[in-house]
Amino acid sequence: MYLFIIRRILQSIPVLLLVTAVTFFMVHAAPGGPFSQERNVPPEVIKRLNQRYHLDEPMWQQFFSYVGNLLKGDFGPSFKYPSHTVNDLIVAGFPATFELAFYATIFAVLIGLIAGVIASLKPNTIQDYIPMSSAMLGICLPSFVLGPLLLLVFGIWLQWLPVAGWGQIPGDKILPSITLGASYAAYIARISRGGMLEVLSQDYIRTARAKGLSTARIVFVHALRGGITPVISFLGPAIAGLLAGSFVVETIFQIPGLGRFYVQAAFNRDYTMIMGCTIFFAFLIVVFNLLSDVILVWLNPRLRQQVGGGH
Amino acid sequence: MNYFLRLIIITLISICALSGCKKNKTLVELGNEEQILHVGNSDEIADVDPHTTTGTPEHNIQISLFEGLVTQDAETLEPKPGVADSWTVSEDGKIYHFHIRDTARWSNGDRLVAQDFVDTWHRALMPALANQWASYLFVLNNAEAFYNGSIKDFSAVGVKALSEQELEITLASNTPYFLQLLNHNSMYPLHIKTILKFGAIDERSTLWTRAENFVGNGAFTLTEWTPQKVVAVKKNPYYWDAEHVKLKGIRFYPIQSDVNAERSYRAGQVHLFDKLPKDKIAFYRNNKDPAYRTFPMYGTYFYRFNTLVKPFNDPRVRKALAYALDRESLVKNVTKGSELAAYTLTPPNPHGYTANATIPYDVEKAKKLLSEAGYPDGVGFPKIKLLYNTLESHQKIAVAIQEMWKKTLGIEIQLENQEWKTFLENQRTMNYQLCRASWIGDYIDPDTFLQLFITDGGNNETGWSNTTYDQLIKKAASSNNQAERFEFFQQAEKILDDEVPIIPLYTYVGNRLVSPSVKGWKNHLQDFWSYKDLYLESQEH
Amino acid sequence: MHQEIAGIQNLEQGVSLSQDAFRRLKKNKMAMIGLLVLLFFIVIALLTPWIAPYSYEGQNLELGATSPSLKNWLGTDTLGRDQLTRVMYGSRISLAVGFIATAVALLIGVLWGATAGFLGGRVDAIMMRIVDALYALPFTIFIILLTVIFGNSLILLFMAIGAVEWLTMARIVRGQVLTIKKQEFVEAAVSMGLSPWQIISRHLIPNVLGPIIVYTTLTIPSVILLESFLSFLGLGIQPPQSSWGSLISGGVESMEEYPWLLIFPGLVLSITLFSLNFLGDGLRDALDPRASKD
Repeated sequence: MYLFIIRRILQSIPVLLLVTAVTFFMVHAAPGGPFSQERNVPPEVIKRLNQRYHLDEPMWQQFFSYVGNLLKGDFGPSFKYPSHTVNDLIVAGFPATFELAFYATIFAVLIGLIAGVIASLKPNTIQDYIPMSSAMLGICLPSFVLGPLLLLVFGIWLQWLPVAGWGQIPGDKILPSITLGASYAAYIARISRGGMLEVLSQDYIRTARAKGLSTARIVFVHALRGGITPVISFLGPAIAGLLAGSFVVETIFQIPGLGRFYVQAAFNRDYTMIMGCTIFFAFLIVVFNLLSDVILVWLNPRLRQQVGGGH
Repeated sequence: MNYFLRLIIITLISICALSGCKKNKTLVELGNEEQILHVGNSDEIADVDPHTTTGTPEHNIQISLFEGLVTQDAETLEPKPGVADSWTVSEDGKIYHFHIRDTARWSNGDRLVAQDFVDTWHRALMPALANQWASYLFVLNNAEAFYNGSIKDFSAVGVKALSEQELEITLASNTPYFLQLLNHNSMYPLHIKTILKFGAIDERSTLWTRAENFVGNGAFTLTEWTPQKVVAVKKNPYYWDAEHVKLKGIRFYPIQSDVNAERSYRAGQVHLFDKLPKDKIAFYRNNKDPAYRTFPMYGTYFYRFNTLVKPFNDPRVRKALAYALDRESLVKNVTKGSELAAYTLTPPNPHGYTANATIPYDVEKAKKLLSEAGYPDGVGFPKIKLLYNTLESHQKIAVAIQEMWKKTLGIEIQLENQEWKTFLENQRTMNYQLCRASWIGDYIDPDTFLQLFITDGGNNETGWSNTTYDQLIKKAASSNNQAERFEFFQQAEKILDDEVPIIPLYTYVGNRLVSPSVKGWKNHLQDFWSYKDLYLESQEH
Repeated sequence: MHQEIAGIQNLEQGVSLSQDAFRRLKKNKMAMIGLLVLLFFIVIALLTPWIAPYSYEGQNLELGATSPSLKNWLGTDTLGRDQLTRVMYGSRISLAVGFIATAVALLIGVLWGATAGFLGGRVDAIMMRIVDALYALPFTIFIILLTVIFGNSLILLFMAIGAVEWLTMARIVRGQVLTIKKQEFVEAAVSMGLSPWQIISRHLIPNVLGPIIVYTTLTIPSVILLESFLSFLGLGIQPPQSSWGSLISGGVESMEEYPWLLIFPGLVLSITLFSLNFLGDGLRDALDPRASKD
């Protein structure tokens, strides 16, 4: 088990390096640096700016010094907010994004599992169709439509919840979390229903039923485990997707998260910011994938053997 | 049925019930109680430093943090005492003596002295700082020569501290709008000691503008600057007129989309915000909403040509494009905010100047000009891009104009939208072919508009240059006689309308929502307001 | 000799399998409805230039936004452009993005996955590490970067979305190939001296077709959604062209004043995605009866 984790961590190092290199050269492949075309600015300013951001050095040297700084944990100064460093901005923006993703995940798992379990108990009846069609609706409704719709209903017509902000007014975290979590809830509903159906059709469940155990007991003690396993393998990449995909929700609800920074950095060609965020998110994605694999292996003894023996 | 379904129904009902019962106080309501004004600002700010920024979002905040020698009465537009409590003007209108008030203080308690203005304006004119407002200081004697490097010694520039409280300003020429200019953010005093603490005097973007370091002289001082979240200011206890400042603080939220901003307003999260979305204007106007305010503004929405690139280096092409635009239809059917179609750069002026020359709407002439330029019916016209910053209303105008040109001239243009700062940067570096622009007058005088297009002006950004035009603007600046000045401006405007480096589209009209709980608000021709006059009153429901 | 027989047997089995699958699919009502709706939209999209009631950029500024009427069945937008026409033209772009980008993803993913799975060993390890690395890139940003750097064009949009979506395809195909590779008929082909390329194209790819088809039907909706996200950011289709995504993101802005500008494109997009999802589910059930229906 430990061997497996260590091997996966070692494997992720070249992955992160590759991500760094791909992004670096892609970003710098863009024609014209941020200061190279400045007009009406005396040459000494350009010189000073280029020096400050090391843009006067050859590309490979810039790359290595960037990687060097990276190893020291320094992402450099931002081009967009010249008096802020990328580290500052990530530290400022990430908590909101993380919290948003966290609540959205909780919402998605809670609602998704409940819907999936309900649907699986009486397949191909109304009790199956209603939650499953709503799940399909959740998948088909883009968050930039769902968000404004929720805002209109709960924020403006009913005035129950605030329409913008994060942690400024009580309740302002509810709508963004639901908006972000909705489509994932829908996926989880579908996945858990499938997992549950498979488990429920197996012999030991039938035996349990025959023994006269209550439905609730069967579901919670036996079947749910089978329903959860595929959900966990889905969650690893999904959480990563939640983190990176939160920018739409952050834009709609004016949440000062990293997703908004990140997307705007891309619009601004804020090189250091793009690099910093990409590496940061890539790292998170690697971590969450690893985490979900580890949990899967831990839950499933058969996989554990395979891992122990190497594949 | 099974108990799951019941469980869910109960949960849902209780969630709804809980949130329904506990109706929270909105930020506006809380703000009314605490005298905290919540403002929707249209974008994240690049910086607070007035010498390195030019945008409206930055300006909205700077006017709370700094104060010039004189301020302005919002209604009469007449100068009012600011940092200076009195002043005298010499007979030729060239020498001003300002008396800095005894109680003038920086927000750290330091005395604000005449030398502070000298040092600040010295910094503003340092070439390495690349201050885009530098040309605004050229009204000072020898300022331009100092900026260009032909004078090395700043003491030759027309600003002198005669004593701690006596400031003598010598102008290059009689400038009737000089007192108005002193209320402009390019003229605000900066705390040089703080700037020097965090870097060289002419270094851009140092840490001096951080909340924990910042020192200013306005009615408010910076307490928080969290990018993408909020810029917060609180009442400055050292401000000379602090006893009349009723607001305890202001919070500026960067809300890029006006639709989001309006939603925030309706949900009671901001008292006011910059621009009412076009689609909503009719609704508020027809309902006679007490928050709705519409007022004329001293500003023009226009398109810039990059006159250095093909095909726009040919004035005939520029003219053809300009003549082909039906601006009446544009304001009536697209912008829909009771804007006035603009046929020249300078808007009609309350001080008595209205341009005679125009860029007419004349499709036949436009077609003729285009074929003279070598593109009959648009044949062979190069692929060009129209650049605008990402905002639905700009896009609508761009799409409408794209179609107008296609219909009348047979030319196809592509549209490209960019995020605000990239857009500004590209406009500044002239990395565009055709772009959307706007200008709100810095002072009520045609000079603020016509000054833009002098050769290599910091905000010219079209590459257009005309020596006669430059001379006329200079002559107007040195003239003592208002009628004569206006005549020079008329001639300059005619050149502009002949050469068409820009296409004026419409004259701005302000359309705002200001919460009825905000008292002391006055509509202003430049959409400037004075936070120190505002106060909040709770609304009874 | 018996090797050839094995191959033929397998071929026969394949044919009967696909007939069987189609029969099962026909029984699935939702999937068939999905298929028909999809075909209907595709036909409409193909015929749009001839059957659209108005020109897609034709404005009527005086008219402005009007609600649905006999003249404009789905109403007009704020520039007085006919909404039905714009939705029809939008479907051309959205469906084209959906199909072409998926095709790009399919091509890269299948070749990559099949090659990695078939060759195995170090080549497999390196190829899959590359996939892992690309997986770790936040996709949406990757596409935004591409469009910001190289400007937005339709072709780039196809390529960028395709380039992002092929990863999962590669993984699925590799997994399938790994299991099939161990089966007799492939080993037989190897011993007969067929070149790797021949084996991949003739034996491996046809045999992993089932999962590929299923995954393709599920990729198309996510591609269409991705395009709509880009439109929401102003990076998708440039005006005056429109896609469903750009129509929806425009409609969201004025949903209270002109709800029809959001409802109709939203409805068409949802119906399409519903259809594709039902068809995908149906295909999965039909091709692999044992697979759990989720």
